[in-house]
Amino acid sequence: MPGWLWFLLQFVIIASIFAYFIIAGKKAKKENKTTWFMKTWKKDSVKAITSSVMSIILGLVIGCLILVIMAIIPSKTSSLSLKTALDGIQLVFSGVFNTGRGASGLTFGFNGVNFGDMLFRATPLILTGLSVAVAFKTGLFNIGAPGQYLASTAVTLILALAIPTSVVPPLFVWLIAFLGGILAGAIWGAVPGLFKSFLNVNEVITCIMMNWIGANVVTILFDKESGPFKFLLDPSGTKNLAYVFKTTHNNVATSKFGLDLIFKGSQVNGGIIIAIIIAILIFIILDKTTFGYKLKACGSNKNAAKYAGINDKVATIISMAIAGGLAGAGAALYYLSGNTEFAWETYQSLPAVGFNGIPVALLACNNPLGVIFSATFISLLDVNGMQLKYMTPYNEYITSIISAFIVYFSAFSLLFRQVLDGSIKINLKSKFSKKSSATVEIVDKKDEKVANQEVSE
Amino acid sequence: MENYAIEMLNITKTFSGKAANDNISIQLRKGEIHALLGENGAGKSTLMSILFGLYQADSGIIKKDGEVIEIKGPKDANKYRIGMVHQHFKLVEVFTVLENIILGCETTKFGFIQKKEAKEKIKALSEEYGLNVDLDKLIENTTVGMQQRVEILKMLYRDNDILIFDEPTAVLTPQEIEDLLKIMKNLANSGKSILFITHKINEILAVADRCTVLRKGKYIGTVNISETTKSELTEMMVGRKVEFVVQKKESVPGDVILDVNNLVVAGAKKNKNSVNNVSFKVRQGEIVCIAGIDGNGQSELVYSITGLEKIKSGSVLLKGEDITNANVYRRNKLGIGHIPEDRHKYGLVLDFTLENNLVLKKFEEERFQKFKFIKRDEIREYANKLIEEFDIRSPQGPTNLARTMSGGNQQKAIIAREIDLNPELLIAVQPTRGLDVGAIEFIHKQIVAQRDLGKAVLLVSLELDEVMNLSDRILVMYEGEIVGELNPKETSVKELGLYMSGAKRNVKEGN
Ligand SMILES: Nc1ncnc2c1ncn2[C@@H]1O[C@H](COP(=O)(O)OP(=O)(O)OP(=O)(O)O)[C@@H](O)[C@H]1O
Ligand SMILES: [Mg+2]
Repeated sequence: MPGWLWFLLQFVIIASIFAYFIIAGKKAKKENKTTWFMKTWKKDSVKAITSSVMSIILGLVIGCLILVIMAIIPSKTSSLSLKTALDGIQLVFSGVFNTGRGASGLTFGFNGVNFGDMLFRATPLILTGLSVAVAFKTGLFNIGAPGQYLASTAVTLILALAIPTSVVPPLFVWLIAFLGGILAGAIWGAVPGLFKSFLNVNEVITCIMMNWIGANVVTILFDKESGPFKFLLDPSGTKNLAYVFKTTHNNVATSKFGLDLIFKGSQVNGGIIIAIIIAILIFIILDKTTFGYKLKACGSNKNAAKYAGINDKVATIISMAIAGGLAGAGAALYYLSGNTEFAWETYQSLPAVGFNGIPVALLACNNPLGVIFSATFISLLDVNGMQLKYMTPYNEYITSIISAFIVYFSAFSLLFRQVLDGSIKINLKSKFSKKSSATVEIVDKKDEKVANQEVSE
Repeated sequence: MENYAIEMLNITKTFSGKAANDNISIQLRKGEIHALLGENGAGKSTLMSILFGLYQADSGIIKKDGEVIEIKGPKDANKYRIGMVHQHFKLVEVFTVLENIILGCETTKFGFIQKKEAKEKIKALSEEYGLNVDLDKLIENTTVGMQQRVEILKMLYRDNDILIFDEPTAVLTPQEIEDLLKIMKNLANSGKSILFITHKINEILAVADRCTVLRKGKYIGTVNISETTKSELTEMMVGRKVEFVVQKKESVPGDVILDVNNLVVAGAKKNKNSVNNVSFKVRQGEIVCIAGIDGNGQSELVYSITGLEKIKSGSVLLKGEDITNANVYRRNKLGIGHIPEDRHKYGLVLDFTLENNLVLKKFEEERFQKFKFIKRDEIREYANKLIEEFDIRSPQGPTNLARTMSGGNQQKAIIAREIDLNPELLIAVQPTRGLDVGAIEFIHKQIVAQRDLGKAVLLVSLELDEVMNLSDRILVMYEGEIVGELNPKETSVKELGLYMSGAKRNVKEGN
């Protein structure tokens, strides 16, 4: 199928879905009755999803604008033209479907490698996203996911490589390494929880400290000269970077669960299935159990939770430990895949996948099931970025800019929800004609927001 | 034709299909105090929020001085000189009084705020209307009464001439209420037009010129205060007669349930205890009331009994068991029910649904969970039962978010939850704050019923009528100490007042 046709098709589908919703809603409003659509619309989850989708679309549109602007700006060295910009836009939207370049331009279709890689990259992101989301639900900001992720990486690799598979069956080694990683992450997460509970130290500060403590501990462990685990370093690695062996070196790797047959040639493995199962479990725990009820009560009103006899200190510690364990599980699954190698030196930045848990959780409005989709989406952008790099003169960082925009927009999701509700009418004329002082705007907005939030709920 | 200061004509506003305001009209004359009366959830706050631009009416028009105006937000309201003191204040805690007053309309010079001019203007205003405030204090360190005056000054500073007061007296002490009513009179005399929401009919009779009554979102009527009576107003409001005096039998005290000995609670300031060497007992089948002016240690006393605040020395026994150092969970399990003073801070998780709030202390009970999995249906059924019994009104019933319920109905939800715990000791702090007269009558009956069931009740109230009406024994607190024990049948409000102000004491401790 020629590229532009594929592209058009996507647009028509999305546009018609939107048009249907809008028209159906307007009609129902006029006739003053509640339709299936209106009832669904009233649900918080639906509003949340729509506002996230709106941030995504806005982010993508801005990304496309950047591509076009880069193509238009004349430059001697660049080989960009409007034609390449068009290619770029197609790839930004649907790079995973790219199957190469034919005579008439880019060709699209099902691309197993891209799809599989997307799922593979999504695996740790789902878990770090869950990590951040669970903490958020309890009213805590887990910015320590990178440290928890690193701690787990080290423990997972050490256990997976150092336990001889000649003695212990590989499956057990896998399990031990996986649980060990989770435990390491949980400990790394519990520390800020303990500090918060007993010494009232803000978790953000301790989390950041734990991140760098983790970074330095890992450096010591795998130091080329003096590290206790330097025997796990691959001697064939490049000179200045120390690579730890892949776990396959010890015959330990996550089962493929047959996914390699569907997505031939990709890195995908059973990890994604485990991640999804964990997300569902977390959803059930938060939504259906008394334990989840306690955590949420602490998160939304600590004083009331205390008043009801819920031990908020314990809740804080457990919630941070779970958050850490989830980030740890992300690292364990990533490295136990067997096809990723770990290289580390402290002056490198902390693992991005830990920080990326924050936008993933934000985009999913902290809903554990939503995290599956938002993480997959962020990794889809990554894959699209790689396609952009391979197929056009653009580089892959454009998609990082797009993710950044999407994250910015998702911070506005409350605003989108109000626009969707119709409780804010965008009134351009009055916005531009009034020259009131900036503070008035801000103060009133805040008031309005509070009020409108109340209306919308 | 008369030109009204504000007319709201045929206003309708629905929330998810349910009308909170159904074709309501209200006309505010210039310079009058116009009261708005109605049961909890009748739609008073909603109507006023529409006038202040927080909500948009679905239909209906608003006129100012005879001209149709459109109010899209608080900014527009400000433009039309409409100001509002909300039921729950909207002040920035970490700003000073001055900063709060000028926030949003600062005069600036080269980008710098000109505090001096503002200060002078505010000083003049506060002298004119008798609004005492300490301009340099942070809001978090001020009393509720002062916060209220700050809210009023905020309106005056913006030269508003339509002033909306949403239940301003619910949080004030009797003395402060008197002051506020005086201030309102002054404001009206100087030409401001005032809309005044309150559940206390005596206040309406004292200051208002006219009163509009709403019931269940509908307009019932407007009457001249000079031509009406208390019972007529209540009947218009609830549709039946209401008893103001609680009927109760003689109390028959039984075993001691709560035994407080030499209790000391440290104060915010190092050298002064907020509760100082307090001892008393509460027995089965009696209602003991702690009376006192707000801020004399009643809150801290309650928090230390319920486990929310640490005890410095002394002991607390519940049914003979020492709970001085027990955690809140243990205390709840042993049978303490607590209707807290601050419903938003302690009483409710505002972002939970009503049903989840109703099981806040019960969700771990056998009948609501199995293997830690919540039984939704059971909770729903239980919530519906309480909603029915206690007449908790909300548009979506058990699934309504606590946040969007009317203030009085939030309070009813808390009371329902605590009374249904069937506690050995019910601690009720200002239980009827913000409730309409019908609801107050009902809640008072419930509290008396608890007593007659042989439970112990500890009541903390600033409302002297409530204190005199409900209690079997009165303990007066002054500056952290119990300065007197009185029998409500043998004392008068006046004498009580003397004790409360510290002018008189009788210490016959160790009953
Ligand atoms: N933001 C909102 N969203 C949904 N429903 C709302 C909202 N605000 C108010 N309501 C509903 O509208 C009705 C009227 O509420 P309102 O707050 O106006 O009552 P009120 O007369 O001020 O009562 P009270 O005396 O208890 O303060 C109530 O049933 C309430 O639950
Ligand atoms: Mg109200």
